[in-house]
Amino acid sequence: MKIVGKNEEECILCGTCEAVCSEYYFKEDNREKSAIQVSEIDEDPGVDINVCNQCGECIRFCPVLALSRAKSGTVILNKKKCIACFNCVGACPTESMFYHEDAVNPFKCIACARCTKECPTEAIFMEEVEL
Amino acid sequence: MTISVEDVRTSRKVLAEMDYTPAKIDKGYAGQSLYVNLSEARIEPKTVTQEMKDIFTGGKGFGLRYLWQAVTPDTKWNDPENEIVISAGPIGGITQYPGSGKSLVVTLSPTTGSVIDSNVGGYFGPYLKFSGWDALELQGKSDKDVVLYIDGDKGKVTLEEIELETGASHLISEVLTEAFAESEEDKQHISVVSTGSGADNTLIGMLNFSWYDPRRQVVRMKQAGRGGIGTVFRDKKLKALVVRFSGLTGKNNNPADFGKIQRAGVKIHREINKFDDVQCRMRQVGTANLMTVMNDYDLLPVMNFKYGSHPEGKKISTEVFISKFTQNVYDGCWYGCSMSCCKAVDGFELKTGPFKGEKVVVDGPEYENAAALGSNWGIFDPDFIIEANFYCDTYGIDTISTGTMVAFIMECYEKGILNKEITGGLELNFGNKEAAMELLHQLGQGKGFGKIAGLAIRRMKKVFAEEYGADSNFLQDIGMEAKGLEYSEYLSKESLAQQGGFGLANKGPQHDEAWLIFMDMVNNQIPTFEDKAEALHYFPMFRTWFGLQGLCKLPWNDIEPEGNKQLEEANKVPEHVQNYVDIYNGVTGKNIDKEELIRQSERVYNFQRVFNLRLGFGRREHDRVPYRSQGPVTAEEYESRQERYDGQLKELGFDIEGMSTEDKMKVMRKHREDMYEKLIDAVYLRRGWTNDGVPKLETLKALGIDFPEVVDVVKKHL
Amino acid sequence: MILVNGKEVGYEDGMTVKRLLEKLNYTFPMIIVRVNGKLVSKEEWETFVIPPDAKVQALHQIAGG
Repeated sequence: MKIVGKNEEECILCGTCEAVCSEYYFKEDNREKSAIQVSEIDEDPGVDINVCNQCGECIRFCPVLALSRAKSGTVILNKKKCIACFNCVGACPTESMFYHEDAVNPFKCIACARCTKECPTEAIFMEEVEL
Repeated sequence: MTISVEDVRTSRKVLAEMDYTPAKIDKGYAGQSLYVNLSEARIEPKTVTQEMKDIFTGGKGFGLRYLWQAVTPDTKWNDPENEIVISAGPIGGITQYPGSGKSLVVTLSPTTGSVIDSNVGGYFGPYLKFSGWDALELQGKSDKDVVLYIDGDKGKVTLEEIELETGASHLISEVLTEAFAESEEDKQHISVVSTGSGADNTLIGMLNFSWYDPRRQVVRMKQAGRGGIGTVFRDKKLKALVVRFSGLTGKNNNPADFGKIQRAGVKIHREINKFDDVQCRMRQVGTANLMTVMNDYDLLPVMNFKYGSHPEGKKISTEVFISKFTQNVYDGCWYGCSMSCCKAVDGFELKTGPFKGEKVVVDGPEYENAAALGSNWGIFDPDFIIEANFYCDTYGIDTISTGTMVAFIMECYEKGILNKEITGGLELNFGNKEAAMELLHQLGQGKGFGKIAGLAIRRMKKVFAEEYGADSNFLQDIGMEAKGLEYSEYLSKESLAQQGGFGLANKGPQHDEAWLIFMDMVNNQIPTFEDKAEALHYFPMFRTWFGLQGLCKLPWNDIEPEGNKQLEEANKVPEHVQNYVDIYNGVTGKNIDKEELIRQSERVYNFQRVFNLRLGFGRREHDRVPYRSQGPVTAEEYESRQERYDGQLKELGFDIEGMSTEDKMKVMRKHREDMYEKLIDAVYLRRGWTNDGVPKLETLKALGIDFPEVVDVVKKHL
Repeated sequence: MILVNGKEVGYEDGMTVKRLLEKLNYTFPMIIVRVNGKLVSKEEWETFVIPPDAKVQALHQIAGG
């Protein structure tokens, strides 16, 4: 299964990944609408890259079975089934299921790799992990 | 008892129909309600007025308003003009905040003769609203069994005859869900309201509200339990209500500020996810988390509320129920409930009754059911409780009333008031599982002694005194009912405030208005009469609000946010109160604060008190309680807690040397009954009522409910 | 003698918060403990020794079903 891997020490907080993601999925440059969110923190290494690790914990909390694992292993949300309860947001151990008041449904990283291709420092990259 | 989907589909015969264009929901309201007259097979829309929204808010408020308009002071529960009203309320149906899909059901009760209301999960209320109806009024009586079908997708309401030759509510829900769903996927768009044969045969019939559980692939049900609403339903010859609505998005209420609701929802979802496992464990065991707590604190009703704990209590502890319930699944009775407390026992094999040998899914048992059908009967067997819970549900009888009244019967049996001749051979001693289960089947099927038991405690007391020569004072002391409604399952003997919580509750002794036992008895936070009266004002008003909005009480204080401990008013859970203010404002676009929230409730609460008055109740004499709820009725009770009671008498200044148990009980009783009267004085004063419990004109004026028809009722008593 | 929620409870030498709660059979999982007005967190219950004549609050955060 492919996930977005991260090496936070390399991150320069340029925001490219957030812009790429939100522009592709929400047609606007707005980090709050990105499924990868980067922020400065006090602890080492000073940067936190918040992106879904495809652990799938959210799946069992969905009341309408809108969350599932695709064949590739990636956890995906079926927006047609989703009833916008945000239980998955509350259940996510890494708080990587995102929401925004402009969007009815929550959104998450589906490992599309668009952001990793644009990252100037290889702070994020596609990584193969065991399911 | 089996019925096929095919039979249902082919036997449908339409008696009346109405096509309509579902109203677009505007900030929580459809603006329309649905009126059905069963005598005339007439279906009509009504407009929901601005006054309805401003004064009565929704849910239970709408139910009370419509019922008031439908009945006269002389109306009895089985008169055709009595109505059953079902309404969700403006917040009802949001999916972002836990516990937001409740239906409120209001009618005149067969056991109290006055107004009853019940708060129930399942999908009916929200689907009803999203189909275009803020409320459903059911009036009149059909001459044959009928089903009402509301298709919110097609915009069509039909009153139909359908062959449903069963008295098993779980089968009715199942078969109607299958018959009306157009596909497997469509099943979750259906909700059925039904009851069972117990509602035909007793006065404690309840209503099951269904939803389809897509993981278990079964229809599940929640109960509008209290006060015999199911009995009224069957008296009207209603077999079922079915609603279908497939367009749920999460924004169907068309809220004014979605972001506000979303933020409050995510915040509490995260809290629950983080803290529930170390707090109440609602997600593991639901309200049955209270089993161990109540037994440990001497509050679990044992043997008709004689005692508060039992050594065998550990056999039906919280841990035991955790092991019975299926774990790690979403268990919400409405979409998005992260509290997820409606646990189920899957694959339970029944040992008795018409479904013996079948494997079924049993909802719960919740705390009340486990106490009512277990410890209160002196039975400490979890499998017995699960089986009794299943049968109460499918027969359509209230678990709480069943538990409390059978406990009463058992004590009467042990005291020799009843015997085998009267009970038709049933040896109804405490702890006799076989006899208790047999009586439950008799209740459900209207057989044998079940016909007398099904009259509920108030009427049984009369029968036992008149026919079997029982001492009516003793029956009054041990029969745990007030206003005609059976007590719910908490021992209030050592908490004066809770005695008032039960005794002063508008509909009868149900704990949904006030549950102050720990604040009062254990924490000692409300020591004076004024403190208790303040608590008996604030909490009933705050909790009434859930019923106006279509909300569940549990996410308010069965999860505690970080930092709540440090707060002065930790018991009110201020952060969650603010969440409620936010989601109300988020849905309706209004700008209320926590004080206005209480005022919304005060309007409806006082209106309900006046409604009781209008029907011949609602005065001080109707707030009296049985002494079993206040103190030890019998020497065995006193002596079982002698150290405690002796200590209390000494503290009060009694010289108890040489006093017999009987004498001690007498002085204790006098003291406790006096305290209760003083408590009532203080509460009436705080609520703006006269010393006879009648809302004063200035109180009604201040709340804006001084309509001429309301003032007329009150004036007679001032 | 100490006062717990305003009621007298017998004192034992070296009595910790944990011991007091056991003695009273206070098993509920959500209790706020204050000793002479000071909040004692759950992590400290085992080690926190209650002084003689202390005023203790053991507030159960529960408001029923």
